[in-house]
Amino acid sequence: MSMSQEEIEALMSGLDIQEDEPSTPEVQEPEPVIEEDNTSMSENDIADLIAQTDVATDDSADSSPETATPAIETQAESAAEEAISEESIDELINNIEENDESTASEDSENIDDILASIDGMDETPVESAAAAPVSAPVENASVAAERPSEPEKEAIAKDWTDGQIDQGVFPFPVEKNTKVVNQLSEVATDSEEKASKIFDVLSFVLDENNEIQKNSKALDEFLSKQIVLLDSLSKKFPNIASFKSNLELAQSLQPMPSNIIDRTNAENAQLFEAMELMQFHDINRQKIERVMSVIKKLSTYLNNLFEDETDYHDVATAKHIHGDVNSNLVDEQDLDALIAEFGN
Amino acid sequence: MKILIVDDSSTMRRIIGNVVMQLGFSRDDFDEAEDGVKAWKILGESQYDIILTDWNMPNMNGLELVQKVRAGGNHQKVPIIMITTEGGKGEVITALKAGVNNYIVKPFSAEILKEKLDGVLKK
Repeated sequence: MSMSQEEIEALMSGLDIQEDEPSTPEVQEPEPVIEEDNTSMSENDIADLIAQTDVATDDSADSSPETATPAIETQAESAAEEAISEESIDELINNIEENDESTASEDSENIDDILASIDGMDETPVESAAAAPVSAPVENASVAAERPSEPEKEAIAKDWTDGQIDQGVFPFPVEKNTKVVNQLSEVATDSEEKASKIFDVLSFVLDENNEIQKNSKALDEFLSKQIVLLDSLSKKFPNIASFKSNLELAQSLQPMPSNIIDRTNAENAQLFEAMELMQFHDINRQKIERVMSVIKKLSTYLNNLFEDETDYHDVATAKHIHGDVNSNLVDEQDLDALIAEFGN
Repeated sequence: MKILIVDDSSTMRRIIGNVVMQLGFSRDDFDEAEDGVKAWKILGESQYDIILTDWNMPNMNGLELVQKVRAGGNHQKVPIIMITTEGGKGEVITALKAGVNNYIVKPFSAEILKEKLDGVLKK
């Protein structure tokens, strides 16, 4: 069994991780496993194992390094099992113990290497960091986590405002999208444009149908002439079968052009009807314009109603007036108490 | 025969143009104007045999156009058909008094326009 290109790539990508990526922290965790396997197995051994097992083939089909690494581990385990059968149990136990020790030492070394490779992470800073008082930053962090960020605040405010608008407590903000006449005007203009485009499509189909009808007429004339010709030829040469068969074929095709013309005529009638129905677009547009006119006149009326002809200037208005229903108002007793309290 | 179609809706102008073509006229047989002002300008440049006009239009409406045409000029005697959504009796009387020869209320069918055109052209 030979390795496929994908298997080779999977294997190569697994090896690339070991060689190229110790600087990136994300892929450093599986790295020691790869190193272990590579120290105990040569590339040829790995290639042999991949070739021997179907599982390895399936797994290595995925060319990502993450999937290639477990495949290599599986092969290493199966190879170890084969070796066990050939050696004595004592030797195996010894080997296992040695392996465990060496593996443990390798693991600890690898972990140290990994930690050392990560910027700012070694034993000393960890200890100093552990010794440093962490309560204040933790508190600050928790307070910061409780406090909503600016976008969150905006979202909360928007939700609240939308709720108030839905309940009718707040009016819609005066924006382009909420101005009634503006919106209606846009609807009228936009639907006019779209109706024009629909009309373009209908006109195109109508023109195409007319073209089809012209071609069908020409085809009909040609077929009629062919039938006359083939009829005379088949009569003159009755022994030639092709004349007769072509005559029959032409006769069978003769109704088709007129059939096409009839169908396109029916389709054109439908198109004309659709065009006529589009008058309702114009009628609806005029209805919208009538509503716009009413709103504009109402707006003018309200402006006139509230118009101030005097030379009015804004003056400061009282916030609390006698008779208001407000818990913030002071009565005589409150007033006396406040005056006494300040002792002025 | 030359026809002038006056309507502020481009869709409506195309619909009327299509109906006119169904009646046997070609695309070269009619011109379009989107309001009374442009129609009046076009009428000053070319001679037309019939005018099909809407009522409600910006700048100069159809009624004003009819009044202006009937007041004088090359098209004083030219037949005018008003095609409009204004379906009130009062409006029809107003239009007829202004000099309109026939009156069509939208929506209309091709047959109606054909009948009205035939009737106007026969006179």
